[in-house]
Amino acid sequence: MSDMTWVPVANASDLAPRHVFQGRLLGQELAIWRADDGNVNVWENRCLHRGVRLSIGVNTGSELVCQYHGWRYANRNAGCTYIPAHPADAPPHTICNRTWPALEQDGLIWTHFAPVDPPRPESLGAGALALRPQPVAAAPELARAVLAGLSPEGFGPLGQDLVASGPAGRLRLMVQAADAGRAVLRGLVLSDEAPLPLLRRLSLVLRLARDEIERRAATLPVPAPIPHRSERVAPELAEMPEMVSGPARIRVRVAKKQIVGEDIVALELAGLRGTLPASQPGAHIDVALPNGLLRQYSLVNAPGETDRYVIGIKREAQSTGGSAAIHDSLAEGDLLAISEPRNNFTLRRDAEETVLIAGGIGVTPLLSMAAALRDEGLPFTLHYFAASAETLAFGERLALLGERMVPYLGLDAAQTTLALQGILKGPGADRQVYVCGPAPMLDAARATAAEAGWPEAAVHFEYFANTREIDTSSSFRIELARSALSLEVPAGRSILSVLQEAGVAPPSSCSQGACGTCMVRLLEGEPDHQDVYLTGAEKAAGEKILTCVSRAKSDRLILDL
Amino acid sequence: MPTLYDFDLSADCYKVRLLAAILGIPYDRHNVDFFPGMKHLSPAFLAVNPLGTLPVWDEGDLRLCSAHAILVYLAERHAPGGPWLPRDPALAGEVQHWLGFAEGLATSAGAARLAAGMEFDLDLAAAQARAHQLFERMDEHLWFREREGGNWLCRTLQPTLAEIACFPDVMLSEEGGIAREDYPALRRWSDRVKRIPGFEVMPGIFPAKIGA
Repeated sequence: MSDMTWVPVANASDLAPRHVFQGRLLGQELAIWRADDGNVNVWENRCLHRGVRLSIGVNTGSELVCQYHGWRYANRNAGCTYIPAHPADAPPHTICNRTWPALEQDGLIWTHFAPVDPPRPESLGAGALALRPQPVAAAPELARAVLAGLSPEGFGPLGQDLVASGPAGRLRLMVQAADAGRAVLRGLVLSDEAPLPLLRRLSLVLRLARDEIERRAATLPVPAPIPHRSERVAPELAEMPEMVSGPARIRVRVAKKQIVGEDIVALELAGLRGTLPASQPGAHIDVALPNGLLRQYSLVNAPGETDRYVIGIKREAQSTGGSAAIHDSLAEGDLLAISEPRNNFTLRRDAEETVLIAGGIGVTPLLSMAAALRDEGLPFTLHYFAASAETLAFGERLALLGERMVPYLGLDAAQTTLALQGILKGPGADRQVYVCGPAPMLDAARATAAEAGWPEAAVHFEYFANTREIDTSSSFRIELARSALSLEVPAGRSILSVLQEAGVAPPSSCSQGACGTCMVRLLEGEPDHQDVYLTGAEKAAGEKILTCVSRAKSDRLILDL
Repeated sequence: MPTLYDFDLSADCYKVRLLAAILGIPYDRHNVDFFPGMKHLSPAFLAVNPLGTLPVWDEGDLRLCSAHAILVYLAERHAPGGPWLPRDPALAGEVQHWLGFAEGLATSAGAARLAAGMEFDLDLAAAQARAHQLFERMDEHLWFREREGGNWLCRTLQPTLAEIACFPDVMLSEEGGIAREDYPALRRWSDRVKRIPGFEVMPGIFPAKIGA
């Protein structure tokens, strides 16, 4: 086995100062680099963090720095010396890249995969020159067979050991088994001839040999690549919050933009390739807008409407940039990045009757629910509160619901409460209520349902904003169990902003306790919930916390981060 | 102030931005949404350049509509007789050779990138195969240039327009599914280009230094 002997994997001259050479042996990708002290490192070509190739990283002369998140690995031991996302911490010793032995001899860099060092390769002698390496797309055994039949001018026939001696000098060719179907032809020559013309002549010999090898390989089946053997990245490292691309990973094209109500546009988002992930009624997506904002929009999609996502956006008078960007700047054909659909507003389908209550643009998830219930023939009513008939959104979809859509137009707060009392007067264990709309209406619905004796678990809310006053007067400590970090949260700052400063923040979006994106698991401590996302039962259980608005009643919280 | 009609992800536009950055030439940037907007085919842009190609350099009554033409113009206008476009007949010929070679890179590696990354209807496999042939020739050329003590494509002591013209389509090749693992001399050369003072990145091209 060639991995039990020293094999050449690079020319010494390949290791230019501050350069990272990309190599391959038996399917294993290698990052080979020379430090400023002359030491040659042969490493696995991947960062332990996210598997990015270290060969695109930076050789600082003493460390290799991953191009992606800046993890640094030391010359020789390949131990991680610094993780920019954890600026206060020493990386654990377990974060150490995989290394192999390196030997520099005759102008070549050699390595091996054997458990103990094999005997050193025989030197061709002082003054040996390394040939230009010639890559070949063919099985190494075939390459070796073709080379064995060569008889380069001045050197004579090579034979099985790929060594020849003649009037021109001594020549040794070698085959680096890069992969099952890939090889690199390498060689050493010892000669009195002028180096440059000799190297050019032998380079042509190898190039013509390559052509012959690949010609023969074309008649044979292509070997399957050797499976990549790599060390597993520890799960807690692999799950560290994404810092670069965020949660929006799916690229879509705005296939259609149309007005579907006063100040309301609908966007149809088509996948660029492949199918879009499945969604359920009540689900929403994060949309990364061209101006850098991340916003949540519920999907309006009916069952089977899976070739696109449909969202509805109302122009908000106090828009912080989200709805205005969509209304004014976005055009059909534009590309957007979105997240997979997430569902925090799940529709039960085992209810005897479902009551859907929409306020304004809050109708969007309820339209999806209504379409699903209608398709399944389940009883439901959509009660739709809007300022006027013109502001009723998605008229075509509403028309399909017929009399099961009941509009309530132009009601003031008192009239709305009165109407809600009418809708919610008869609680029942087998009735489920879903409410989505502006915060005052949701608060009114919550109070009305409680007064009417509805069980909390039967009434579901989706807020699109948290309009409550957030109390930020407390100060406390947070301990991050997985990162072994202890941080102070002073009055006036959120847990999220402290986490962001430390580089360990979860993804976040609305920053007001409405969307649930920044939720983390709470391991210990008494939370001071100030969000509108968690249900009363979830808040009482104290196992989750929204880091953007919620705080601590106890002196400290231990978070699963 | 001259105007560059530009698109961020265009290799050809990047050639112009790169030389302008290195020579410190100021210009106004006019973005043309080539992909996905296809705005290079809009009537407004066709009025600027009937060929519908990017980049376009617009300066006074001069309007140049090809990357290499703009490189030649900028080098002669802002660094006449300088190293980027040598006056020595042999070296001038060499530079022209590589400008032509770079057109081949654009129609192979560059075409593969358009097919793989921007959904252009082109023969991806053929483009990739041709790019590998050109990369192999470039790698061999650069390997022997290193043996001769040279760092650059032409037999010059300093980089020339040959570097600027060839670099983008080489560096962006992985977006077209063309790995450069088999071309170590090409990889070293691209590291050297990244270290030219004034070097500027574009999306998909990383710097060779930390905090550059």
